[in-house]
Amino acid sequence: MGKSGSERMPCGEPYRSAVSCRVMENRRVAEGYFIMSLGLPAACDTPLPGQFVMLRAKGVQAPLLGRPLSVYAFKRGEKGATLEVLYKVAGTGTLLFSGLPDGGDVEVLGPLGGRFEISPGVKNVILVAGGVGVAPLSFLASHCRGDRADARPRITCYVGAGSADALVGLDRLEASCSDVRICTDDGSCGHHGLVTDLLEKDFNLLDSRDSVICACGPSAMLKRMAELLEKHTVACQISMEERMACGLGACLGCAVAVKAGDGGFRYRRVCKDGPIFDLRELIWER
Amino acid sequence: MRTNPVGTVTPRLGVDIGGLILKNPVMTASGTFGYGEEYAAYNDLNRLGAIIVKGLSLESRPGNPPPRIMETASGMLNAIGLENVGVRDFIREKLPFLRQFDLPVIANIFGETLDEYQKVAEILNRAKGVHALEVNISCPNVKKGGIAFGADPDMAAEVTRKVKGAVDLPVIVKLTPNVTDVAVIAESVEAAGANAVSLINTITGMSIDVERRVPHLKNVTGGLSGPAIKPIALRMVWQVARRVKVPVIGIGGIMNANDALEFLIAGARAIQIGTASFVNPRAVSDILDGLAAYLARHDISHINNLIGTLTGGEEC
Repeated sequence: MGKSGSERMPCGEPYRSAVSCRVMENRRVAEGYFIMSLGLPAACDTPLPGQFVMLRAKGVQAPLLGRPLSVYAFKRGEKGATLEVLYKVAGTGTLLFSGLPDGGDVEVLGPLGGRFEISPGVKNVILVAGGVGVAPLSFLASHCRGDRADARPRITCYVGAGSADALVGLDRLEASCSDVRICTDDGSCGHHGLVTDLLEKDFNLLDSRDSVICACGPSAMLKRMAELLEKHTVACQISMEERMACGLGACLGCAVAVKAGDGGFRYRRVCKDGPIFDLRELIWER
Repeated sequence: MRTNPVGTVTPRLGVDIGGLILKNPVMTASGTFGYGEEYAAYNDLNRLGAIIVKGLSLESRPGNPPPRIMETASGMLNAIGLENVGVRDFIREKLPFLRQFDLPVIANIFGETLDEYQKVAEILNRAKGVHALEVNISCPNVKKGGIAFGADPDMAAEVTRKVKGAVDLPVIVKLTPNVTDVAVIAESVEAAGANAVSLINTITGMSIDVERRVPHLKNVTGGLSGPAIKPIALRMVWQVARRVKVPVIGIGGIMNANDALEFLIAGARAIQIGTASFVNPRAVSDILDGLAAYLARHDISHINNLIGTLTGGEEC
């Protein structure tokens, strides 16, 4: 598994495949939101923040395709490793996942795709999470916290959800971040309004020389961020979501348009060229 | 045929596809295996019968705007729109990777005009490491070319003649199921000189998001693939295999060795694995293992003794 693996030449070493594993726990954390813990063998590759896995219920032909889910947490133990995904029930695939019992069999392909890149000089990491977009950002935050104390950036997280009931993953964020700022559309918790409104107010305090924004959320949130960033120079990496068939870069199903020379565009694959993109690279309206 | 690494060959699986000798009948369907790179970490590419690469046009094509895919009952719709690097970049950037394997490379080609088909074929004919061509006259997802050629027997024959006249490689013609009688098209391209036919390409379909009342695919319609189309594909392969003398390559919803065996028994000389590779990146290897195990279990000395051996049944 892992990005380095796809560059490995076939020279007698074992080939990669999806890993069959057990659901250790599949816990409902809010209405429509679940955290699934998977027990992986010790030989599995360590996922990096921003990477995803393709998850399938084993032996099931419907739904046919795996579903791409960002890694929410990963921990090595004595005998193996635990990988967690945080997902929202959004269609037939995730609905099936939500009904998987503890001990159920699943197949995991990955980790796949690229990672968030936080360069050593960065002092401020700003996370902007909309809904279930909190998953890869929480994993990133826990990674940053593992850095040496003197190299550890300050992490501020802006979390938005429809209402207080839909706020998920706060415990982990609060453990990893210096500051967690909450917004809800209905005002039932934290700031009453959009996460981008709150972010906009703080924008001018950001020093783009030593700060980076990492975001994941609905496209309306990302589009609004693209507008805000027109007036600012701070770097911004986003994790994109698209329907995928293979997750490996072969089917070309998960295309997104990015800017190319001469005001043109070209398509990039979310699975292989992403899922992390520079926000300013993307074209929202074509 | 070149020698293969020890322990990876099962001699009794070898097949002859219109002059192209394959070590086994398992190929990758065009557009589902990229140019091989993405799957090399998951499969020993030296083991495959052949790789059929993503369809190539004269110039690169960006493909269709997203969304491009949608899962449907036991299958998926796609409207990728023949996104590809173009034939010259394929030869320069993709072919060297494939040349390091003992793996016949079949280039799938596409054109908007007869001239484009001919030019792409000529360029590939000169390239080192291309073993055959598969002519796509059946893509449902582009405005010009593709299915416009594949749905008419005379046009299909015309494309076949053009390509055959431009190359000395074996030419496979890939047929569309979106016609009244696919056997008529198969006979027509056989008469025009095709060395083999492959079928089926995807079946045109669509799907609608009822909440928003918009199509799930930006292109509105797309090509349906996966287990949902297998019975249709099998029926068409069976019909065509009885009407033409050239080898028939079976494609359509093959997910496992059992599915592959159905096509071989129905008369396919070889098979292509498509959507299954999306579900399981090792599908081609697993299916190959399953075929070998079946032959051993049934004590069949050579796969040729299995092909087209359907018995029983009575058409009423």
